[in-house]
Amino acid sequence: MKRPTLTSNFRFFSILAFVGVMCTGLTQESGADDVIASLRDRFQSADVSEIPDFQKHVVPLMGRLGCNGRACHGSFQGQGGFRLSLFGYDFEMDHEGLSDRIDTDDPMESYALQKPTLIEPHEGGKRMSVGEWEHTVFLKWIEGGAKGVETPLKLNALRVTPSEIEFSASHQSQPLSVTAVWADGTEEDVTCLCRYTTNDETICQVDEDGIVSSGEVGDSHIVVAYDGAVVPIPVLRPVSEKTGDNFPELAATTMIDKHVVNKLSKMGIIPSETSTDAEFLRRVSLDMTGTLPTAKEVREFLADSSADKRERKIDELLESPAYAAWWTTQLCDWTGCSDQTLNNVNPANRQRGSEDWYEWIYKRVADNVPYDEIVENIVVANSRKPGESYRDYSERMSTYARDEDASYADQDGLIYFWGRNNFRATEDRAIGFAYTFMGTRIQCAQCHKHPFDVWTQKDFQEFEQFFTRVNFARNGGDRKEYNELIEELGLAELKGNEQRREMSKALKEGKTIPFPELTISQPRLTGAQRRKIAEAKKKGKKPQVPGKMARLLGEQTVDVDNIDDPRTALMDWLRQSPTQLFAKAFVNRVWASYFNRGIVEPTDDLSLGNPPSNGPLLDYLAQGFIDSGYDMKWVHREICLSDTYQRSWRPTETNIHDERNFSRAVPRRLPAEVAYDAITMATLNDDRAELFTSELDGRALTQTSPPRNARGGIDYALSVFGRSTRESNCDCDRSSEASLLQTLFVRNDDDTLDMLESRNGWLSSVSRQSQDESTNAAVKRRVENLERRMAQLQRQLKKAEKDKNKRLVSNLEKQLATVELQLLPLTEKQTANEEQPSEQDLESLIEEAYLRTVSRFPSEAEQTIAMTYLNDSEDLNAGIKDLMWALLNTKEFLVNH
Amino acid sequence: MAIHKTCDGMQRRDFLRVGAVGASSLSLGSFLKMSEAGQVNQAAKAKSAIFINLPGGPSHMDTFDLKPDAPDEYRGEFQPIQTKIPGIEISEHLPKLASSMDKFVILRGVSHTLAAHRLGSEYVNSGNRPLPSLEFPGYGAVVTRELGGPADLPPFVSIPRSNQRPGYLGVKYAPLHTNTTPQPGRAYSVRGISLGNGLTISDVEKRQSLLSSLDTTFAGFEKDNQLLDGLDRFSQQAYSMITSKRARDAFDVSLESPQFADQFGEGAFGQSCLLASRLVEAGVRFVTVSTGGWDTHRDNWDKLKTNLLPSFDEGLSALLNGLEQKGLLESTAVYVTGEFGRTPKINQERGGRDHYPRCMFMLMAGGGISGGRVLGESDDKATEPLNDGFTPDDVAASFYHNIGIDHTKEYHTNTGRPVMIVREGNVIEELFS
Repeated sequence: MKRPTLTSNFRFFSILAFVGVMCTGLTQESGADDVIASLRDRFQSADVSEIPDFQKHVVPLMGRLGCNGRACHGSFQGQGGFRLSLFGYDFEMDHEGLSDRIDTDDPMESYALQKPTLIEPHEGGKRMSVGEWEHTVFLKWIEGGAKGVETPLKLNALRVTPSEIEFSASHQSQPLSVTAVWADGTEEDVTCLCRYTTNDETICQVDEDGIVSSGEVGDSHIVVAYDGAVVPIPVLRPVSEKTGDNFPELAATTMIDKHVVNKLSKMGIIPSETSTDAEFLRRVSLDMTGTLPTAKEVREFLADSSADKRERKIDELLESPAYAAWWTTQLCDWTGCSDQTLNNVNPANRQRGSEDWYEWIYKRVADNVPYDEIVENIVVANSRKPGESYRDYSERMSTYARDEDASYADQDGLIYFWGRNNFRATEDRAIGFAYTFMGTRIQCAQCHKHPFDVWTQKDFQEFEQFFTRVNFARNGGDRKEYNELIEELGLAELKGNEQRREMSKALKEGKTIPFPELTISQPRLTGAQRRKIAEAKKKGKKPQVPGKMARLLGEQTVDVDNIDDPRTALMDWLRQSPTQLFAKAFVNRVWASYFNRGIVEPTDDLSLGNPPSNGPLLDYLAQGFIDSGYDMKWVHREICLSDTYQRSWRPTETNIHDERNFSRAVPRRLPAEVAYDAITMATLNDDRAELFTSELDGRALTQTSPPRNARGGIDYALSVFGRSTRESNCDCDRSSEASLLQTLFVRNDDDTLDMLESRNGWLSSVSRQSQDESTNAAVKRRVENLERRMAQLQRQLKKAEKDKNKRLVSNLEKQLATVELQLLPLTEKQTANEEQPSEQDLESLIEEAYLRTVSRFPSEAEQTIAMTYLNDSEDLNAGIKDLMWALLNTKEFLVNH
Repeated sequence: MAIHKTCDGMQRRDFLRVGAVGASSLSLGSFLKMSEAGQVNQAAKAKSAIFINLPGGPSHMDTFDLKPDAPDEYRGEFQPIQTKIPGIEISEHLPKLASSMDKFVILRGVSHTLAAHRLGSEYVNSGNRPLPSLEFPGYGAVVTRELGGPADLPPFVSIPRSNQRPGYLGVKYAPLHTNTTPQPGRAYSVRGISLGNGLTISDVEKRQSLLSSLDTTFAGFEKDNQLLDGLDRFSQQAYSMITSKRARDAFDVSLESPQFADQFGEGAFGQSCLLASRLVEAGVRFVTVSTGGWDTHRDNWDKLKTNLLPSFDEGLSALLNGLEQKGLLESTAVYVTGEFGRTPKINQERGGRDHYPRCMFMLMAGGGISGGRVLGESDDKATEPLNDGFTPDDVAASFYHNIGIDHTKEYHTNTGRPVMIVREGNVIEELFS
């Protein structure tokens, strides 16, 4: 056998290595000599003496004929009483199913042959004819005794040539040739036995014989599957003639740019120009901190003429609290922080679960703790400290829960991840773990062979074993101490919610209440096993439990019963797996948040069948992230400093349809929290807008969880804008689609209209006092009301201070500050001057409105339109309000571009 | 409107034609199957639907499935009364529904196993047993996606809120929540649609023209970007909705004639039903009405007879009668349910009943359903269905069938997973016979 030559362009093939399937890009001429000819050629004539193999030939052939498809016998109910494993690979079940339908004494009489040839009626129609090679294969197999599979043979590699296809026009075609390399050294042409799928049928199509044909310009993949292997073959058709040497010289400042431009030059896509400073500032502020720049910030940034101002801005934003809040929100999405699934994880208070979770992550993001360390403290989180009893632990937690100033962030680990009620069953844990930390969907393999990855149902079940010993014990791991604590509290007679309510009271009275804890249970043993261990101990040997073996998704096997905590093996694996899925999932999600899509899209579907649009780019970022010590800010800086990120949204002739090669900024709707905060901030007066950025009070970004019961308020808007529901192990729990209700909200919802007219609003702060008597009276009334409210709050504050109720004090102080701020513009208003505004005043008002909303100065044309509108307005205040309303409703406002 | 109902909302004439043309193998059963598969769904009469949710889980034994002969620790204090249909008895505290019994069907012995509010509620609001890895869309989201609605009306309205979520179909199929309920005789407005803050139509038009002249940054590029194009389309739709008299009027129950409105009473539930009937009349595709308080662990009978049942009785009977008076009952599928029944055995300590999904009732009316019947039956203590009983999946499949949607149709979730609209259910054919 000739040695395959690796082409460096296809480094992503390295992901195949971890499944034990060696897959490499090959030059076309390799390997031809010793390869067994295809089944189709060998079985053309009926007098062939070879007996086909069940694993190598019969099962794949049933795939080719569609027998084990979902609509046919692959359906979980089977079809006509006959069921095959979906997408094959359960040889035992498939063999058993077939055995009932074949007749080895008189093979031609086999029911399994008569149905697909329509000798017997077959709902699935005619799948083959007597005398065709497919029929001969089945017949010879039956004649040979219809043997199944004892031990599946290992497929070492699936070689596909060519390893990449480039078309130059539509309706071209290119056959694929596929060779299976088995562990016993044999190689066979299996082109006619593979399952072929296209990842984008507008760009390329493929038929059952592996003939690929071209469609529109663009790039995608053909996925080839055979036995356990899945191999993606890139197919591209350049967008223009400007490829290779014809591609213009472009400066590639960073490594990201090198990888992106490299791909663009293959595709003949000319990237967009660099964005303007105003575009850049707005984009990076929204992306990195989920926050609009203030009008003042825009002015300053635009006035700054230094060369490194973009870099300095990036560094400044990375240090802001809003950066921590926005990325905490996203980490809470991926880890699934939701009150809906956190019932009583903190018995002190129902809402505390998600608050604790958010605080715990926030502190670490703000401190830029390495990502792997954060994850480690979630994955192997423990409740008790070493040597701590359950009582000690409950005492420690009770003290914490009582202390208004204590933060859950000070706990070492976040056990709540394991306490979610959709994360209890081992299969849910396997799925959720792979989703959160590996950006991978293994749920398909829960029931059948993964259609686009190598995992089988067995792989899934073996992976599940890591989770069996992890318990989130609501009543703690020590029954005796738990009962004692309950006895001491005198709550043994009560049950359920009543007991919980009383516990919460007892806690406030300073008593110790039992807390839920995470425990690792001992492996379950049979009586014989226990005796054996006892004997070993007697002889002074270290007892070995004949343990349960778990397997890290297609990689090494771990004896989970002989390690103290199986989760440590999972954590080690996240860090060490050659697939780097742990790092890739993170950098890919971060990338997706800065661009319109991930390098792999969807971002939670990293799999062989869904390869990255730019493999070297993803590899570079993942490796760099690991090398940086999992420094999250490294990823952010690396992305934001690239030309690729800083490109304009304005398309060039060749990139107008490009969304997957990052040749321009694709306009995206603001995420829910960001959109809500942007509307609020654009309409707030200057002082409040600054506070909104520096303090995070009242920000949608600090909402810790989707609510149990959405009751209007901020939750209405956030759900309409598609904040993550954090419940189904899918990045699609967050939505960035547009919808009618969103548009109605910004246009005509009372919340938005009230923001425009708010006393804390910008409009109030710039509005001219009306001559109207009744308005004056209304203002006066409002001032009186607010003053009364202030006096009341001050009284309450005094009392709270006396009671030393810190939480209440801080709460009241905040309320007081709010009232004071509401009062301020009103008292000014009563004394405001009544002069008519000059043209200059109006111009600067219009400018200000633009800076606050779309973060740029108005163009001359826009200035004229707005000025004409204001001059035509009878009431100037109403005119400015209309202008603000219109700006909030432009696409430019709600879109990050 | 068709008079000859045979089965399945299909006119007799059509049935004969199919029978004549079709091969001999085309029996009634296979016709039904075909019709379930959506091939004859134009035969469905219902064009809109009203889903009434009773969160908390109403007691079946004290409402529509009384067991007067059960032992004391089961039966409860209410007496059954005769309804308009001889042989059908319901609770004495539902007299108005008793006299409207000809308009709806009681399903008894509906059964499932999810005794928690949230899970049960997700189940009955989607027709699919909840999975941790997938959120199923509520009925309204599916109906909106399948059948759409008029441009100047929201297709899916929930009064005042709903447990039906768009699930894997995405936010664009979310309901418009009214958040409040109308007050009798008062003008009623809804967030986002009605004009608030003293705005007039001419203000809105002025603003709109200013917006059009300023919203030009992406001019020329909209068609090449799905998001920008979508924002433009929704903007158009929002504008027509806000300025449309039809939309505003649809929500304003005070425009209803007093004779008609009076039967709905003054309560929040009755007014919600009135609004639901108005919305459906205007062309809204799907309306949910929710009225809670049914979680009667304590003081079950007191709560039922003083509050819950009288307002429910008044509202629902007025809705069914009102729809009929407007000629809308045949074009409106109505479905009433809580998330479960309540324990047949009385919780003596608290004078109530607890969660009980194994046996519950549901109500169906409108569209191709002929009323005045009880389908299914529970055992003598109402603890479980006699015979097979029904599942929420079956009822969901029937509800979709009633409005002409093939419940076996497959969607693909974002993860590429194929999922049927209702995964497990079968249409209850007797409903349509």
